[in-house]
Amino acid sequence: MSIYLPIAELSVNIFLLLSLGGVVGFLSGMFGLGGGFLMTPILIFIGIPTNVAVATSANQIVASSISGTIGYWRQGLVDFKMGGVLLIGSFFGSILGVWIFSRLVVLGQIDTVISILYFALLTSIGLIMLAESSQVIRDRIRRKTVKRKIHYHNWAHKLPFKMKFYKSKLYISAIPPIIIGFVIGILSATMGIGGTFILIPAMIYFLGMPTSKVIGTSLFQIIFVTALVTLLHATTTFAVDAVLAFFLIIASVIGAQLGVLAANKLRGEEIRALLAIIVLGVATKIALDLLVEPNEIFNISVIRALF
Amino acid sequence: MNLKIFLFIELLILFFISSASALVIGSDEEEIYIDANFSGKNLLVFGAFYSDPSQARDNKSDILIEVVGPTEDVVIRKKESFFGFWLNSKSVGFNDVPGFYYLSSTSEITTEFLDENNIGLLNKKDAQLIDWSALNIDWGNIKNEKEKDSFYAALIRTKESKDLYRQVNGEIDIIDGNLFRSYIEIPNTVPVGQYRVNLYLIIDNKISNEYSYNFIVTRVGIEEAIYSFSKNYPLVYGLISLVIAILIGWSGAEVFKRFRKV
Repeated sequence: MSIYLPIAELSVNIFLLLSLGGVVGFLSGMFGLGGGFLMTPILIFIGIPTNVAVATSANQIVASSISGTIGYWRQGLVDFKMGGVLLIGSFFGSILGVWIFSRLVVLGQIDTVISILYFALLTSIGLIMLAESSQVIRDRIRRKTVKRKIHYHNWAHKLPFKMKFYKSKLYISAIPPIIIGFVIGILSATMGIGGTFILIPAMIYFLGMPTSKVIGTSLFQIIFVTALVTLLHATTTFAVDAVLAFFLIIASVIGAQLGVLAANKLRGEEIRALLAIIVLGVATKIALDLLVEPNEIFNISVIRALF
Repeated sequence: MNLKIFLFIELLILFFISSASALVIGSDEEEIYIDANFSGKNLLVFGAFYSDPSQARDNKSDILIEVVGPTEDVVIRKKESFFGFWLNSKSVGFNDVPGFYYLSSTSEITTEFLDENNIGLLNKKDAQLIDWSALNIDWGNIKNEKEKDSFYAALIRTKESKDLYRQVNGEIDIIDGNLFRSYIEIPNTVPVGQYRVNLYLIIDNKISNEYSYNFIVTRVGIEEAIYSFSKNYPLVYGLISLVIAILIGWSGAEVFKRFRKV
């Protein structure tokens, strides 16, 4: 059974969409990742135009991050003040990001730029995850326990405009979180991702936030970044496909909850290594599409009159 | 059956009015509605034709059906290799290109004939010879004639690959020697707007009679409503998309919270 997507302007099998949403949701629930970094490239692989894939992914991440934030918020693990400061940067970052995006659409370079960005992103995530999970597996085999530092002190503590973040027990400058938020905003708007996998390490290592508060806070700020990105895309690139988003959201919210349940029962490292291999596979496919000579070197795009 | 009888009567009337050749057209629709489940509708074009009885009976007569869709502006981009990467480089903007073009004939029509009569845009070998004067082309920095031709060819090729440009022959049924019928496949990717159907009766390689009429393609259904809403009220559309995401995200968390407690 297939359904016609009004903005993407093509028909897609409904079960393909539901299983894609479900699997990506499951992985994101399991690892606490947004899943946008897998959703967008896979949507492009199944033939969804790049701009629609990016804008619709942002809309889908709004749903999955709300779902996730509620759980952390109930446990008191969201630092709203830190989230708010990050958002100041994200606000300007996403406006710049959508502007860059629409310029690239006009220049006809959006597909290439998105492919290169995704290749770089997925390759680094895949390699880091693979290295980390295989390290943990090796340590477990050798029955070694690794001690981890809880608090980092660095240059972020020496800048001006210092603020108190009671929940995170921090007294740091507002500049680093604003810069981090700005970068996340640009990435979110151009790539259709929440940016958790960049945000979480940045919050731990640059801001020195306690690990327990990091995931909830990042999810909280991602709700607003992706919501803003959705609105900006809806009004400037007209690329948000509500029908596509609806099916992805339904499946990913269910998948995410099952992923959280599964995370408690399954051992993380092996699955993380498997995810790393999937991520590297997607990266390889993107690279091949860029490097192999296409059958048709010309492509056509109809300029839609906006009325 | 009624249709055939009706056409025959008309044909007989024409026969009495004039001894010259004649062409009469019927069409089953003036409007085609495309909805989400539309998987390509067959547009029926039918009619009757009558060769000049003063001519020898074995003279070759052919029917040519041309369907021209509404115009649109397109950009053709060419990929080139930069250090191993295939990137879009040169682009040409073609304005007022037919969004749909279909040419069908009872038997194969020669290029010379089409050229002489200014019909067709699909089969010309020398692209620069085509009468593209109706087109408004933005060549950018491309000056080379050969390269221009490659863009013309690419325009036609990419449109053909989407079934939006087609040239066929032998798809017109001739019934009883004087009636013809053809089903023209309209794919669901066609642009909306006014379409023109031109019919030609060709006798001895000359256009003996021609007839034209219009039909309209309209998109309908919930998908079309969503599409036009997203263009007309983008902010409201964006907000609704957000509200849907928020509600499903929220209720998902609530439903599973209860489920987990049980």
